[in-house]
Amino acid sequence: MKATKKYQLSKLERDERRLGFLLLAPAALLLAAVVVYPIAELLTNSLYSFRLTRPGYRFIGLENFTFALFEDDRFLHSVLNTAILIGVTVPGALVVGLGLALLANQPFTVKWPVRLGLLLPWALPLVFAGLIFRWFFDYRQGFVNWLIELAGLTPPQWLSDPRLAFVALCVAIVWKSSSFMALILLAGLQTIPKSLYEAAEVDGASRFQQFVEITLPMLKPAIVVALIFRTITAIQTFDIPYAMTNGGPGTATETMAMYIHKTTIDFLDLGYGSALATLMFLISIAATSIYLRHTRRDTGRG
Amino acid sequence: MKLAPNRRKTVWIAAAIVAANGFFPALWILFTSFKTEAELLRHPITIVPHDPTLTNYVRVFVDQPILLFLWNSLVVAGLSTALCVFVSALAAYAIVRLRIPGRNLVLSILLAVSMFPLISLMVPLFQTMRTLGWLNTYPALVFPYAVLSMPVCTLVMASFFQDIPNDLENAAMIDGCTRIGALWHVVVPLAAPGVFTAAILAFVNAWDEFLLALTLSSRVTSRTLPVGITLYQGEFAFPWPIISAALIVAIVPVCVLIAIFQERVVSGLTAGGVKG
Repeated sequence: MKATKKYQLSKLERDERRLGFLLLAPAALLLAAVVVYPIAELLTNSLYSFRLTRPGYRFIGLENFTFALFEDDRFLHSVLNTAILIGVTVPGALVVGLGLALLANQPFTVKWPVRLGLLLPWALPLVFAGLIFRWFFDYRQGFVNWLIELAGLTPPQWLSDPRLAFVALCVAIVWKSSSFMALILLAGLQTIPKSLYEAAEVDGASRFQQFVEITLPMLKPAIVVALIFRTITAIQTFDIPYAMTNGGPGTATETMAMYIHKTTIDFLDLGYGSALATLMFLISIAATSIYLRHTRRDTGRG
Repeated sequence: MKLAPNRRKTVWIAAAIVAANGFFPALWILFTSFKTEAELLRHPITIVPHDPTLTNYVRVFVDQPILLFLWNSLVVAGLSTALCVFVSALAAYAIVRLRIPGRNLVLSILLAVSMFPLISLMVPLFQTMRTLGWLNTYPALVFPYAVLSMPVCTLVMASFFQDIPNDLENAAMIDGCTRIGALWHVVVPLAAPGVFTAAILAFVNAWDEFLLALTLSSRVTSRTLPVGITLYQGEFAFPWPIISAALIVAIVPVCVLIAIFQERVVSGLTAGGVKG
């Protein structure tokens, strides 16, 4: 009796397990076809000289990589540009996003204008945000220069000056990415118990003290996750500069992703493009593993 | 809630800032889409159109293949959403309910995929699609888009499935339902809000995607809206009023969708963002 029961249980378990794998199979299949296989191809091609503009597919070892890292100034410049964009827009989006989240965390009677105000920038395609901001920063018809003229100052040529083009790009990227950050931080804000603030009020803490002593520490996990998430997407910045400056003037604002795209699609150099894409892949993996370690620690604690 | 008048004023100002920040660019192009080209060239610029016109919309629909772009976007986003939600629902259920070994590994893989640099996939996908002869076809975008949204959709649905009491399924199975029958007849209807939330996220992701669409589907007749509209500028000298009208056409479907289901979208985004 006991033996059969045990047998039945493990049979049930085995059935469940089989069904579990069956249900995961379609997802695994898609992943294999669209992620695993292409990555294998990417890694292989990165070791070859392979251009669609001329015949031949020749193994050259790590030559693509050494060329990229030691000789290709345009690539290194694009890495630097990407690093600058990350360095400015990730903290920028955090500050603006935190500000928006604090503003949105008020006892509104009508909630939709605020909620939609946070959702619209998220739902707008990146490339459209780029188009719109390109126009905001237009020399003659731009909204920004209109404001500057109203203030009685001389309007600059935003997008044809390398430095100013960077400023314009950063403004657009921060605007586009801060609202998603605000949504995540707002969700974090709403989990902070009101009683903490009430207790602080009784103790005579000022609003600023409450923010520093309660809000920020309680919000820290959400902030860290949002920051890492934002950094990983910022590594791949493509759409907004593509639409706003197309890397210009010259290649002054070209990002890594844009250079990889140019190399592969415009110059049809698949071998070198693969090597560059592999480098970006490695950078992302490094960033992602930090992220995974963090979230795992988080769930472990919870 | 009763608030002191002073406090009410700050709440109002807060709401106005957040709303203005979000709505401003969309409102700007909405106004511009009704301006004439002559008004646009005026200096200093105008904000509200002086004599509103619908010509830009007529020109977008008549002179430009915007209907074709709209159709391409709808097909690609619709098909990839359907595929993504179906596959993710099965996976989410397996993760939540069935005792599969390596559950955490599956979750880690999903998170890693969601962080994956698209540009790194773009290079080999371009080559593969070229070899298959799939460049400029719907499958070239449908399959990658389905995978791109799979992590978010799986996590969102898993968090919804978790809240459905186990007893209901057990009762259905005692009544003679199979596991899959129980999933289909009991879990899916109860988890419909979660499934729906996942579907909206997948749809918006596919509707907005630019890089792969630009790379894998750049022929004029197979362009989606983001690619079609962005590449206008190469063909004409900045017809801003027309581009504005085109942008409005492209944005409205998604805006309506998120306006109707805003609470769901927010909960889905934060479930995928905070937990994963």
